Amino acid sequence: MSFIRIIPSLLLSKKKLVKGKNFTNHINAGYPSTTCLALESQKCDEIILIDLDSYKNIQCPDFSSLSEISKIISTPLTFGGGIKNIEQAKKAFKLGADKIYLSQTLFNNKDIISKIKKIFGSQSIVAGINIITHNQKNYLLEDKEKKIDIFEHIKSLIKCGVGEIKITYVNNEGTNKGMNLDLSKKIISIIDLPIIFEGGLGNVEQIIDMIKIGANSFAIGSMIIFKDYNIYKIKQHLFNKGYKVRF
Amino acid sequence: MKVGILDYNACNLSSVFSSLYRLGINPVVINKSEIIPKMDKLIIPGVGAAKNCIDYLKYNSLIEPIKVFLANKPVLGICLGMQIFAKKLYENGLSEGIGHIDGEVKKLNTKINFNIGWKEVKFFKKIDKEIKIENLSSFYYCHSYYLSSKKNDYCVGISYVEKNSEIPAIIFKDNFIGTQFHPEKSQINGNKFLEFFLNWKRN
Repeated sequence: MSFIRIIPSLLLSKKKLVKGKNFTNHINAGYPSTTCLALESQKCDEIILIDLDSYKNIQCPDFSSLSEISKIISTPLTFGGGIKNIEQAKKAFKLGADKIYLSQTLFNNKDIISKIKKIFGSQSIVAGINIITHNQKNYLLEDKEKKIDIFEHIKSLIKCGVGEIKITYVNNEGTNKGMNLDLSKKIISIIDLPIIFEGGLGNVEQIIDMIKIGANSFAIGSMIIFKDYNIYKIKQHLFNKGYKVRF
Repeated sequence: MKVGILDYNACNLSSVFSSLYRLGINPVVINKSEIIPKMDKLIIPGVGAAKNCIDYLKYNSLIEPIKVFLANKPVLGICLGMQIFAKKLYENGLSEGIGHIDGEVKKLNTKINFNIGWKEVKFFKKIDKEIKIENLSSFYYCHSYYLSSKKNDYCVGISYVEKNSEIPAIIFKDNFIGTQFHPEKSQINGNKFLEFFLNWKRN
């Protein structure tokens, strides 16, 4: 049995960490490198760092924060948010990213996948799938016309060569109300890739609900940033319930 | 002690560099073949695709100097940096490896063709009495190809990707130590491993 992966998901804006709700209302959540070092000492399994300003096309990815973080931690690091071309991806790897996180660029530039795959391998590409639910139907956040089928989108990305999928439930993000269990179950049954789930986790019971339907990797934000949890405590809870976690 | 890290233009060089730096070593980044013989130890990092890496090493005449170095001095290959020491590699088409390890690098034959995350390493031989890593310590993996070999004499530790699906975790042959996992990304256990390599003297 594999270890359950607990992965802090950190948003970067103006060289600070921020955290919001439903992808908006971001407030200051600390200094990036010291926070990452603290999370490492709490035995987080990986760290995902997403540059919000770059995602919103305000500026280029914040490579200096990435570099500063990778100099002081020895925890696997996924970097993304607004990476648009192979040069930016190369730079991120060179500065210490182990995986590249791509989301909106995958709608108009799928070629970037094969380019990264050729040089760095599929295992280095995490595809971000941002799901919004509207009138009980599920759509992709970036798909303004609400035409693209989520599963067709994911399958096409797998065909292009991504190695891992991160599912984010945008409506639940920052709300602590748990995840969409039915949709998660369907995703797990259809997608044969490692899947990280994010958005809505507010307590350990909600993580256990997801483990019971087959999920094993979780990206968490508000749970550790604004609550009295830390990674070690979450893992201790899971361990006490009989789940396999790494300390 | 001069520790060189090979730069093949597609690796997580700075992570390996920073890990060593934190252990008190000031490593040398190597991108020219003539620097290799000046080193005492050589590390070849991972994160990359096999064909691209081998083509780069050949084009820049790095294969021969690595072989010569390996005959006398210790080399650590991490992930892809280990896999390139096999005879044949199949990622993005066939490429010919350095050939120090009698094996082939193939796609993982598991339900999910990727091994991303932490796995315990089961040691069945000790590389060295000096190694202070306990059996079943966990290390970080991120790969979809693995070293497959019929001769397992030089495999000292394995990990299970799935039940009954084992992969070599640590390879040890002559002056060569190879790891499928990433010590530079494996927190405390990884640091212990790198420290072991830095202090390692071939008997």
